[in-house]
Amino acid sequence: MTKQPKLLIIDDDAHLRESLAEVLELDGFECHQAGAAKDGIAAAGKLDPNIVIMDIQLPDSSGFQICQELRKRSKTTILIMMTGRFLSSEEKKQGFELGADEYITKPFDLAELSARIKQLLSRNAAKG
Amino acid sequence: MAPSRNRGKLAYKLLFWFLLISLAPMGFVGWHLVGITQQSLRKETLAMQESLAIGFSDTVYKYVTTFRNVLTETAALEDFVSMSPGKQQQYLNRILQIHLAVLELSVLNDKGMEVLRLGRFLGAAPPMRDFRTEELFIAAAGARGQFIGHLERFQGLYPTVTISVPIVDQRTTPGRTVGVVSARVSLNGLSTMLAMEFPASGKSAAAVMTRDGFLIAHSDPREIYRPDARMPAEVEKVLSSQDNVKGGGEITLAGGRRLLGAFSLIDKLDWIVYIQQPVEAAYQTASDMKAQIFRVLIWVVLFTVLLSLAVASHITQPIRILKDAADRLGKGQFEDLPEVVTTNDEIGDLAHTFLGMSESLKEKTGELIHAKQELEKFTKFLEKRVDARTRELKAAQDELIKKERLAAIGQMASVVGHEIRNPLAVINNSIYFIKTKLGQGAEGVEKETDPKIAKHIKIIESEIQQANGIINEILTYSRQRELKPERVLLNNWLEELLSIYPFPPHVAVDKAFDPGNPPIEIDTTEMQQAVRNLIGNGVEVMPPPKGGKVTIRTAIPEPGWVRLDIGDAGNGIPPDVLDKIFAPFFTTKARGTGLGLAVVRKVIDRHRGRVDVESTVGVGTTFRIYLPTAA
Repeated sequence: MTKQPKLLIIDDDAHLRESLAEVLELDGFECHQAGAAKDGIAAAGKLDPNIVIMDIQLPDSSGFQICQELRKRSKTTILIMMTGRFLSSEEKKQGFELGADEYITKPFDLAELSARIKQLLSRNAAKG
Repeated sequence: MAPSRNRGKLAYKLLFWFLLISLAPMGFVGWHLVGITQQSLRKETLAMQESLAIGFSDTVYKYVTTFRNVLTETAALEDFVSMSPGKQQQYLNRILQIHLAVLELSVLNDKGMEVLRLGRFLGAAPPMRDFRTEELFIAAAGARGQFIGHLERFQGLYPTVTISVPIVDQRTTPGRTVGVVSARVSLNGLSTMLAMEFPASGKSAAAVMTRDGFLIAHSDPREIYRPDARMPAEVEKVLSSQDNVKGGGEITLAGGRRLLGAFSLIDKLDWIVYIQQPVEAAYQTASDMKAQIFRVLIWVVLFTVLLSLAVASHITQPIRILKDAADRLGKGQFEDLPEVVTTNDEIGDLAHTFLGMSESLKEKTGELIHAKQELEKFTKFLEKRVDARTRELKAAQDELIKKERLAAIGQMASVVGHEIRNPLAVINNSIYFIKTKLGQGAEGVEKETDPKIAKHIKIIESEIQQANGIINEILTYSRQRELKPERVLLNNWLEELLSIYPFPPHVAVDKAFDPGNPPIEIDTTEMQQAVRNLIGNGVEVMPPPKGGKVTIRTAIPEPGWVRLDIGDAGNGIPPDVLDKIFAPFFTTKARGTGLGLAVVRKVIDRHRGRVDVESTVGVGTTFRIYLPTAA
């Protein structure tokens, strides 16, 4: 892998951001972090990440809004929604329609997550 | 019932007025008539008595003058004028023989000396008396020419009068008085006459008396033949004070006896003839009339009383019956009313009106009673409804409180769970990082981690799993999600569920499915959770090494229902705990939320089913889920 895939994590919990970033870095991702929706969108615009993992609940915005915003900018970016609560089917459906690729529930099975991301990336690359 | 009760007060009032109206004028007229009668009777009686007295006075006078005439005729005889005693005695004896009333005869000479004296009760040779100064002689020999007087009682009993006439010698002119002849005459004859005229059996009495009260004659012999015979003082007083020659009036005696008396004066003698009659006798007719009127009045009263009672009865009887009927009506007795007589008059109209009124009243009362009963029924119904609604409301309120409490708990649990998931996620990330780092040697070569560290990492991972499991349970229980029913075949669905359930090796599974394999409509996610909870509990109570058997059965207890039994062979649940096990947060485990069975009940309830538990300590526990089959 010549170039590391760029991964952006948007969450207001700094520990969660950092721990997740460092775990994923072990798997060879170039991780960036943002603590708010505004910063996240700005960072995404600057970095053009391959993957964005965002919390559904953020202090300044909803994860779905970021998702919608980012999907507008890029069709290929893998958008993964993080949640700490149960999501109803309606919510999930709405998220998918706005462009979300995957949902993960805290706490994560990190091995599974890593595998899933890699799979999504390789499919993108194949399409690419 | 007593007659008086039958007639009532009205009868007596009527009676009283009838009597007053009918009797008062009659009594008045009667009384007046009696008065008039008495007046006229009095007048009549007095007039009659007066005329009798006048007539009698004439008779008395004639009686007396008869003797005087005898003397006058005798004195005029020639032989008598000669004053020859022998001849005179001859004549006088003849007089004595003929006139029994003559008691004594005397001849006085012209000097007033008695020269001859003859008497029925005189002895031989009676003494001669001197009358020179006596009225007897003076009056007879004088201008008057006669004397009638000198009343006295012979032998103290019989009244006598002395009559004297002059003996005049007519041979000379004028005649010369040569003497006086005098006779003492008994007046008993007058009393006899009066007695004949006014017999003792009659009420009337008659008397002759002088002005000074000497009683000359009386119709009652008992009155006259006694020495002190006089008329009653009151009569005497009235008569002696009279100036008139005749008259009459009422006299009241000392004893209270009332008399009607009339008198006539015998002018020439100055005697009084008196006739009396008791007032009662005089008023006999008036009294009879009074008695007759009284009798008539009594009869009228009797008749009026009886008639009034009859009339009052006749009038008041129907009214009384009406009153009785009205009393009964007033007491609310509409049956057995007395027979109300309907006559063709105002009372009949009243009775008709009353009957109409009672009918209407009966009807109205019936309606009222009916309405009251309806109202009571309705009130009872309402009370029941209110009670029922109150119970329902109470239950609903309890339910609501419970729900609100659960909702609050759920909300809190949701927030807490969510908030705990974040740090849990961080811990999980970090331990994953540590584990990965420790497993990577330099240059990425894998190396052996210290076994103790590896063990602790495993413990942490396990605890994270457990914590996450608890959070999942709480969130599952408190989740307010909509049911998403889908139609499945019970046996197939169960088979699939069991096939992926991670039974540990020490637990055996005993399946026995009803071949009917009925379709059910369930939210598979929730129902799966419920069944998994029950299986999980079963597995948990049969820990290794002993282990045990989980029994899963389906059955059709009755058409339209399926039953799913999930049993274990654990220690069983004590009876005192058995009814609490479905309550949320109730747990007997060292680690547990107490929500597993609560979730089961919630899910089954949401599917309109029922969950029972059957447990025997030392044998095991079986949960029975009843669900309606799909149509």
